[in-house]
Amino acid sequence: MLSSEQSIVEYADGQAFPDRLTQKRHAHYLDYATRMLRVYEHGIGRTRRDLHRAIEAIFTDELDCPTQRVAAFCKMLDDVGQYDEDARGQAADLRLRVFEFAAKYHPLVSCAEGIFEHTEAEIKSRVAQEVGMEWGQIDRALYADIIEFQTLKSFAGYPSAQAMLSAYNVAQIQACLYRATRMTLYLTGDFKRIIRRIRLLRLLHEIHRVDFVRTGRTGGAAEYRIDLSGPASLLHETRRYGVDMAKLVPVLLACEGWRLQATTLTPWKRPVFLKLSHEDGLSSHLPPSEPFDSGVEEAFAKKWGDEPREGWRLFREDVILHEGQSVFFPDFVFRREDGLEAYLEVVGFWTPEYLAKKRETIAKFRGHRILLAVAEACVRQGAAIPGSVITYKTVIKLDAVLDQLRLRAGD
Amino acid sequence: MTGKIALNLSFDRGTLLLRGLSRQQVAKRFGEALWQWDGRIAAWRTYALHYAAVRDALLGADEFVDDVPPPARVAFPEACLPVLRDQQQQAVDAWKQSGGRGMIVMPTGTGKTEVALAAMADARIATLIVAPVRDLMYQWHTRILKRLGYNAGILGDSQRFIQPVTVTTYDSAYLHMAELGDRFGLVIFDEAHHLPGGTYREAAMFCAAPLRLGLSATPHRSDGREVDLPWLVGPTVCEQFIKHAKGDTLADYNVVRIPVKLRDEEQKKYETAGVQIRDVLVEKRKDNPTYAWENVCAEASKDPAARRAMQAFFLRKSIEDRAEEKLRVLEDVFRLHVGERVIVFAGSNAMARDVSRRFLVPTLLAHSRKNERRIVLDGFAAGRFPVLVANRVLDEGVDVPAAKVAVVIGGQSSARQAKQRLGRILRRSGNAVATLYEVVVQDTNDVERSRSRRRSDAYGSAKRWRGNAQ
Repeated sequence: MLSSEQSIVEYADGQAFPDRLTQKRHAHYLDYATRMLRVYEHGIGRTRRDLHRAIEAIFTDELDCPTQRVAAFCKMLDDVGQYDEDARGQAADLRLRVFEFAAKYHPLVSCAEGIFEHTEAEIKSRVAQEVGMEWGQIDRALYADIIEFQTLKSFAGYPSAQAMLSAYNVAQIQACLYRATRMTLYLTGDFKRIIRRIRLLRLLHEIHRVDFVRTGRTGGAAEYRIDLSGPASLLHETRRYGVDMAKLVPVLLACEGWRLQATTLTPWKRPVFLKLSHEDGLSSHLPPSEPFDSGVEEAFAKKWGDEPREGWRLFREDVILHEGQSVFFPDFVFRREDGLEAYLEVVGFWTPEYLAKKRETIAKFRGHRILLAVAEACVRQGAAIPGSVITYKTVIKLDAVLDQLRLRAGD
Repeated sequence: MTGKIALNLSFDRGTLLLRGLSRQQVAKRFGEALWQWDGRIAAWRTYALHYAAVRDALLGADEFVDDVPPPARVAFPEACLPVLRDQQQQAVDAWKQSGGRGMIVMPTGTGKTEVALAAMADARIATLIVAPVRDLMYQWHTRILKRLGYNAGILGDSQRFIQPVTVTTYDSAYLHMAELGDRFGLVIFDEAHHLPGGTYREAAMFCAAPLRLGLSATPHRSDGREVDLPWLVGPTVCEQFIKHAKGDTLADYNVVRIPVKLRDEEQKKYETAGVQIRDVLVEKRKDNPTYAWENVCAEASKDPAARRAMQAFFLRKSIEDRAEEKLRVLEDVFRLHVGERVIVFAGSNAMARDVSRRFLVPTLLAHSRKNERRIVLDGFAAGRFPVLVANRVLDEGVDVPAAKVAVVIGGQSSARQAKQRLGRILRRSGNAVATLYEVVVQDTNDVERSRSRRRSDAYGSAKRWRGNAQ
């Protein structure tokens, strides 16, 4: 992640536009990126300040290059490298040793007047003798622990010059979001992955189902609006949660069917919007979402098919059931033409904690038509299974599900 | 609807949540403004800052459950506090009389820390001390260990060791108060004038500590936001000024101003850089007659010419800051004060290191680790190190053991900085008269900054007291 000082944002028409390198305008940056990576790859043993100057030098004649952009590149390169941070405090030890030795001869004068004075040159050569190093060496080592004088130990780099530039674009969006006070997401899929991340980041969410969009042959998809904020956002406008909102971006970029609108503040404290969607052509370093959690679910969806059965069309992870800050994503949604919905949750794990948690969640949402399919392997021997629970060995039987749907649609 | 929800108060990441009261009940008990209804979680919410008031208003209410954990009690069995001077005792008493919520304004060097330690020893409750910089944080740690016999926790400088009594910085307090705000019964804001600025104020708003103590020598802020201190910390309960303290606890001092010239090659570079800036401005003004320095700053990222001007500007500043003649003058000052402790204030880390590498004397810089910091400060106090070089890290409140000679060779010009820096060398020690040298490069911006420094109250007083300042 970049720091705020490296953030570049342009503001126009009430919108924020984080700095973005495009193939059209910045094709030549690919060459820069290659050269930058080369500097670090060949830079083991060089000081941070040296490396940064070498990176700056690459851009001397570039007309379109803000200083923050160069600083951001340096930060991104530093972040995937490792510097010798002198964890054992050798430089500090050397300093104290040298200063304690020299204290006896203070002040080190340039030209001695009288026999009680000592010259800089004389004492420095005596220090060198005492320490057993050339003075030049000592002089360099004396402050080697200072961040800009630390030397590069290793460099993992980026997969390619292209990857570094895409990472730059994402990093600039994140840096812009550090100043975000609120964020709204519009989602049509990948709910589970995105909301899990939101909850992990401890952001508060308000979920609204906004629309029921018909999309192509496979039928409808619900769209949800999710307003994100933090506890104190209610009391005053605060950027405190902006960093957490920024951390959501990589997950979003790995997902489909989303757009976001964040309110961020300009340096003049004016609110502006940052808009972004899955269609903006940005890429994530995270892998795309897996379509199915398990083979059981995949097999069931395949067997059901795209066409409705007894009027029920099947959708995958298509709704969010929510109650305050509790959420539940049933694995499948059955939807009828008239809009009636029922849900199927497949329980395949069998750790006791997992089952207990599932039971608690389902109890919270008992007002909804939730069918449960439980693997026989995770049912305790002799346990009483309610009639509404469908058990399965390796595949979930369509008939058992249809029976339940008929029953539950009747209530 | 469900049955009656129990009346319950809890802490949630820097805020308070209240459940079990209707809108009318909340308005009746607290007025309209205090609580906000939070539909996201179906509860009333307000800042943790209001905890003491809210708790008091709810005590005695039917079946009130307070889930905000009571702060730990702390014993200081090995406390060895010195007897407070009258002024210090008055400050402690005034704070206690105001219910343990308030600001104490005392000049640097008159023992604010002793006052705070006395307040802590009296409160005997979990305490968080918030200081502006790492040095001060460590200094509090040392003082608490020495005076109260307590090894306080440290939060900041990449350390996270939380104890009932913990020291931290404003930066860390802002970041972590949401998680820690319910652990302390007393919060102390050192150099509290930092608190109302920008985001730091959230550190006070997210903290539930009923007892609050703010310390400052100069609560005044150029943005006027000190008006928020009364609700963030408490009213000013005690105010003492530098002039009252004179002769009582602070030593008299001389101010000696030493002008230096740039060396020929420096002067040449300095002028060349000046010409570069001027050329850019002249060229730009052909198109835009009002083109000014602000435009250079704004365009430096897009326009190579403006970028050159900007670089030239920084080069000039660096030449002023690191002028070689300053090192020569230092040599003279060191010669003159052989056997006396001398502290040097540099304008930048780079200059501080230049001095250190030239004279082989220790520095105290932002990056210095705790252990080195302690050795350097103790060594300076014990006379093992004749000189200590510092950058602005030492600007505020950092105790430097009774230096009698200080040399300012660069730095910013704000009034507070000048006052705080003087505070460093004003510590009383015997009858010795302190001297402040100010080394200024002639014919450059350094002179302007020096004038601005001297306009501040403390330098003004120096002149009046001694009458021999230049």
